[in-house]
Amino acid sequence: MTATPTPKSIWQHLPQPLAEILHAEQGPLTRELLLAPGQFGLGKVPAKQAPDATTNMVCGYCATGCGLKVHMRDGEAIGLTPTTQYPVNLGMACPKGWEALEVLKAPDRATTPLLRNPDGRLEPVDWETALSKMVAEFQRLKAESGPESVAFLSTGQIPTEEMALLGAVFKFGMGFVHCDSNTRQCMATAATAYKQSFGFDAPPYTYADFEESDALIFVGSNICLAHPIMWERVMRNKRRPEIIVVDPRRTETAMNATQHLAIQPKSDLVLFYGIANQLIERGWIDHDFIAAHTSGFHEFAEFVRQFPVDVVLERTGLTSEQLERFVTTIHEKERVSFWWTMGVNQSYEGTRVAQALINLVLMTGNIGRLGTGANSITGQCNAMGSRIFGNATNLFGGRDFLNADDRQDISSMLNIPVETIPQQNSLAYHEIVEGILRGKIRGLWVIATNSAHSWINQEHFRDVIDRLDFLVVQDMYSTTETAQQADLVLPAAGWGEKEGTVINSERRIGLFKKVAKAPGQALADFYIIKSVAQAWGCGEMFAEWTSPEAVFRILQRFSAGRPCDFSGIEGYRQIDEAGGIQWPYPSTEADDSTERRLFAEGQFFHADGRAKFLFDPPRPMPEPPTEEFPFVLLTGRGTASQWHTQTRTAKSAVLRKLYPQAVYVEIHPEDARRLKISPQSWVEVSSQRGTLQARAFVSPTVQPGQVFIPMHYAETNRLTDSVFDPYSKQPSYKACAVRVRPWSGSVPSSRHS
Amino acid sequence: MSTTVSSSRTSPPQVEAVAATPAVVTLRTVIDDYLAEQKTMTAVDMFSRWHETTTVPVQARYYKSLIPATPPATGEQYAFEVDLDRCSGCKACVTACHTLNGLDEHETWRDVGLLLGGTTSLPVIQHVTTACHHCLEPACAIACPVDAYAKHPVTGIVKHLDDQCFGCQYCTLACPYDVPKYHADKGIVRKCDMCSDRLAVGEAPACVQACPHEAIRIRTVATQQVIDDCESQQFLPGAPEPQFTLPTTLYKTARVFPRNLIPADYHTPKREHAHWSLIWMLVLTQLSVGAFIAEFWLTSQLGSLMSETSTEVVSLGSVPGLTALALGLIAIGAATLHLGRPNLAFRAIIGLRHSWLSREIVAFGLFAKLAALYATSSWWMPWLDIDMNWQPWLGLGVAVSGLAGVLCSVMIYDFTQRPFWNGPETTAKFLGTTAVLGLATLFATLAITSASRGQLIEQGPLLCRLIVMATVFKLLSEMRVLWHLRDRSNTTQRRSAQLLVGELRSTLGLRVVAAVLGGFVIPLLLLSQPMSVWSPETLRMGALTCGGLLLLGELTERFLFFSAVIANRMPGGLST
Repeated sequence: MTATPTPKSIWQHLPQPLAEILHAEQGPLTRELLLAPGQFGLGKVPAKQAPDATTNMVCGYCATGCGLKVHMRDGEAIGLTPTTQYPVNLGMACPKGWEALEVLKAPDRATTPLLRNPDGRLEPVDWETALSKMVAEFQRLKAESGPESVAFLSTGQIPTEEMALLGAVFKFGMGFVHCDSNTRQCMATAATAYKQSFGFDAPPYTYADFEESDALIFVGSNICLAHPIMWERVMRNKRRPEIIVVDPRRTETAMNATQHLAIQPKSDLVLFYGIANQLIERGWIDHDFIAAHTSGFHEFAEFVRQFPVDVVLERTGLTSEQLERFVTTIHEKERVSFWWTMGVNQSYEGTRVAQALINLVLMTGNIGRLGTGANSITGQCNAMGSRIFGNATNLFGGRDFLNADDRQDISSMLNIPVETIPQQNSLAYHEIVEGILRGKIRGLWVIATNSAHSWINQEHFRDVIDRLDFLVVQDMYSTTETAQQADLVLPAAGWGEKEGTVINSERRIGLFKKVAKAPGQALADFYIIKSVAQAWGCGEMFAEWTSPEAVFRILQRFSAGRPCDFSGIEGYRQIDEAGGIQWPYPSTEADDSTERRLFAEGQFFHADGRAKFLFDPPRPMPEPPTEEFPFVLLTGRGTASQWHTQTRTAKSAVLRKLYPQAVYVEIHPEDARRLKISPQSWVEVSSQRGTLQARAFVSPTVQPGQVFIPMHYAETNRLTDSVFDPYSKQPSYKACAVRVRPWSGSVPSSRHS
Repeated sequence: MSTTVSSSRTSPPQVEAVAATPAVVTLRTVIDDYLAEQKTMTAVDMFSRWHETTTVPVQARYYKSLIPATPPATGEQYAFEVDLDRCSGCKACVTACHTLNGLDEHETWRDVGLLLGGTTSLPVIQHVTTACHHCLEPACAIACPVDAYAKHPVTGIVKHLDDQCFGCQYCTLACPYDVPKYHADKGIVRKCDMCSDRLAVGEAPACVQACPHEAIRIRTVATQQVIDDCESQQFLPGAPEPQFTLPTTLYKTARVFPRNLIPADYHTPKREHAHWSLIWMLVLTQLSVGAFIAEFWLTSQLGSLMSETSTEVVSLGSVPGLTALALGLIAIGAATLHLGRPNLAFRAIIGLRHSWLSREIVAFGLFAKLAALYATSSWWMPWLDIDMNWQPWLGLGVAVSGLAGVLCSVMIYDFTQRPFWNGPETTAKFLGTTAVLGLATLFATLAITSASRGQLIEQGPLLCRLIVMATVFKLLSEMRVLWHLRDRSNTTQRRSAQLLVGELRSTLGLRVVAAVLGGFVIPLLLLSQPMSVWSPETLRMGALTCGGLLLLGELTERFLFFSAVIANRMPGGLST
């Protein structure tokens, strides 16, 4: 190699103008990337994007609930950086957060209501026409088929105030009964498990527990990719913790574990019952805690005797050394915490698996202390808000539609006739789908979710919603798979274009702010729902629900005296200044620390103050591999740059560079060799329900006999099987039987937008 | 609203009209209010004044320990250090770099690749974040013909001077790590400069600030240590060999990587950008050089022949020379068009001391001038009363400068360290093109000039035989790469060959057919009879078809040359 040139020395000797022509070290192109001090506690920022103000708000993707500092100029957002002082993310964000503003500018934003014309095409109409049509159709259906004829499917992606307004208007104002939300697909199991075990849907932890734990056990959670900022907190743990990952796949998280238990799919319940049995047999349990704070232990202890070591080893495929080390770790470590996500929740027996983890922390006294807990890591940014204030499965504030006192409570708080409150429970998501199939439900209002992509056994679902008399889809984008099937599309403002609060995974209430103008005629879901109420003729009933913050005050009333009491919060400004506030935050004796956990006193929310040991015998996988369909299909998150159905994340050019555009299937090298599948070649994956073509990603990270396909691609749910947990009614996305073979047809184009 | 309900029972279409009148008036006002409210921005008024007014970067509390406290001493420079054990593959660094550097919509300077390997019982998956390695011997800077790269004497940061760049993109081929990225709209390359302006004031680079897991830091390295480390090739599994440019990034890990660790994109040969203007430039310069040499050779042959048999000085006339000159100039024009900012083409010779591209430009510049003189020499030499005996010397100058230019072209590609562009094979290809197209051009120009029929009849058979021989040589040297399909391991050359017989197979077919027809079938047909038997029209037709097909073949071959090359790069992710 020749010597590195040192241009400066040569050019310095020339006269300035000549030097500039021959060797321009500065100029307009250099200035384009010039950095300037950002002020407001920012370091240098691109000079062309220097803000004149900043404001903090929380991210609108996942339930981590990171604080983002939005850079403003002339009152509008021009960029963002993660907020250093926010107690959740400590100045960090994942790619989705960094690009959160970018996706608001997408060309396929819905900018006007779209009504399907007689030719079958969606065409722009004004809001009055759209809402009159929607109301006329839904009123006709109600008149013809009664209050059960129209349902809505909502989301965990909008603020609590909007969810509450929707639930109130739909049930109390419009007089319908059935509604559910996409949180059924992610968090129903955790909510049910907590409610049954603790007496209230109450994730007990705070993110500081990631840093304070001596053993972190992640079950069905690829936290590295699904919740990168929570993994940040794990990486800040200075206690040299044991990190145990229970996952059939060698995920990024498994790579970072000190113990990876690659169990056979759906053998988790057997494993945890077996662990419980071992702990009991060896006396490694906290007798005092069990006696003082729990009920049902003896039945449980008796029950788990059916799971001796050999049974566990046989079902899970683990070695006795692995099992021994796992049990010993739980016993020896002072602070043990269990963390689970969709690998547990999205299972036909997920509620009992979650409770198997809860049972383990109860019997070892690993709850209510630093670095402990049976902790559900939530999915969507406001799944927690939906769980308490969606007015779908529960009446507001975790109340019960079937309970007359609860109905009376709400009716007097809202000053509405008690008869307007339904006396029956809503159907769950899959029951609504079934209702449509049976002609019982004829109208559907879909808000900020993309069911035609995300619901299990997709082709069936798409067929079902085609049967509706009237389908309304309310979304930021007119191009989602579901919107494409709609009779009416209502253009919604998105995150960053409206106000409201969301509740994150550790029960922290955070604030959304309006920092960008919604395109065209798009309106915040809040205003859309208010307009629907107005058009329906029940607007008066919601006269007090004037603004998101006014609704927040109503929700505070709902929460007062409940476990989720946050009636002590003064208002949005306090949330903003405090860096989010975790519930409980009652009006008296509120604890002002930034990290708080539940159950320090061992007091649970059942009437007797005790937590329950709950269990069921494990059941076999509903669709085990067969000769015809010999592989188990696992699904899950692909990358940290993809969010669910990609409605938003596919709109960022940078994010698109960070994940494969076409659907791929992870398959073990042995299986690939046997089936003559070469790396990156196209293969066909089929289940009894559908078929897709995908690129083969040949990798030992899945075990032989198993394949993995990320959930973000529209095709994936053609394969999955409509099986549900009996308690939580959450779909079991994670395991069904498929066949894989080489595909030599023409290369299919990816269907996701 | 009860009227709406009751009337809707009878006939829904009329409902709208009936219901519209009373409801819509208030509804419209409400919606108008909401639309106005939706457009009002309140966040700043309501909240921002409670936020910090400090000018010190608050994020410093997290990154202070991740950057050196003092500048590098003599014999040291700054370098990235990546702790692989902390890189979880979230890719926040890519988006942070994009945002904090104000890059354009599609532009990213950092990449995250993926390494895979291990066994069923212990699979290994390792994400790798990577940006510019700020090499001790930056290939980008050495390749750059306009000195648009400056390695800072103290920090060692390799900075790209955006205003100096004229968009030749040679650095994007030369860098073994795929770091410089061409920005087509701006016509220049841009790249990571380790956020040198941030480091200068004690702030951390964007990626260091943004990594949630503190996997990236800046440290000071001793240059000798970098050299020693590169000697052992322990840079990163799956990355190009480090001895060429001496990259300074330190990838550290406590893990023991399995020996079968390979990049996730290893099995997916990716077709590279074809660079059409470079294809035309290379083929036409080689044609031009070849035609001049062939003509020069033929003229001297004839000259010696004539001097024995006749006293008359014979000139072939200026047709072959002028044709070659014209095509040569088109080639140089094409090369200029390839530039992102052609108006700055004059800067191209600045890098003569180190850049093969500068040298190529100088050589072809000289060639063009000498060729112009030579092609017109039979007019101006007598006019200036210069002895025509000097003409062969001028011709020799043309040949030498032209060949020097072609060899510089070879070196441009050889320098990139891409196996498919290795020196011997590239030399064979470029000289082969020079021979094939030079001979074919001479043959064709003789055939279209009626005055030269005598020479054509006399020299035609030899020209045809030479064309056949050159074509055979050329095709064989090109097909050599296909032998690598038999390689046991998935070598770079094998991947090029896979591209050729896979994705690019129809182009390869066209290339072979064009060569066989133009360089084999037609010349042999013409050789089947004495040249004098063929009518001038047939010969013209034959020679032009032969030349046209061979030109097509060579252009196709050069297309494959660019498309089937496997670029050196850092481990990539799953292919998209």
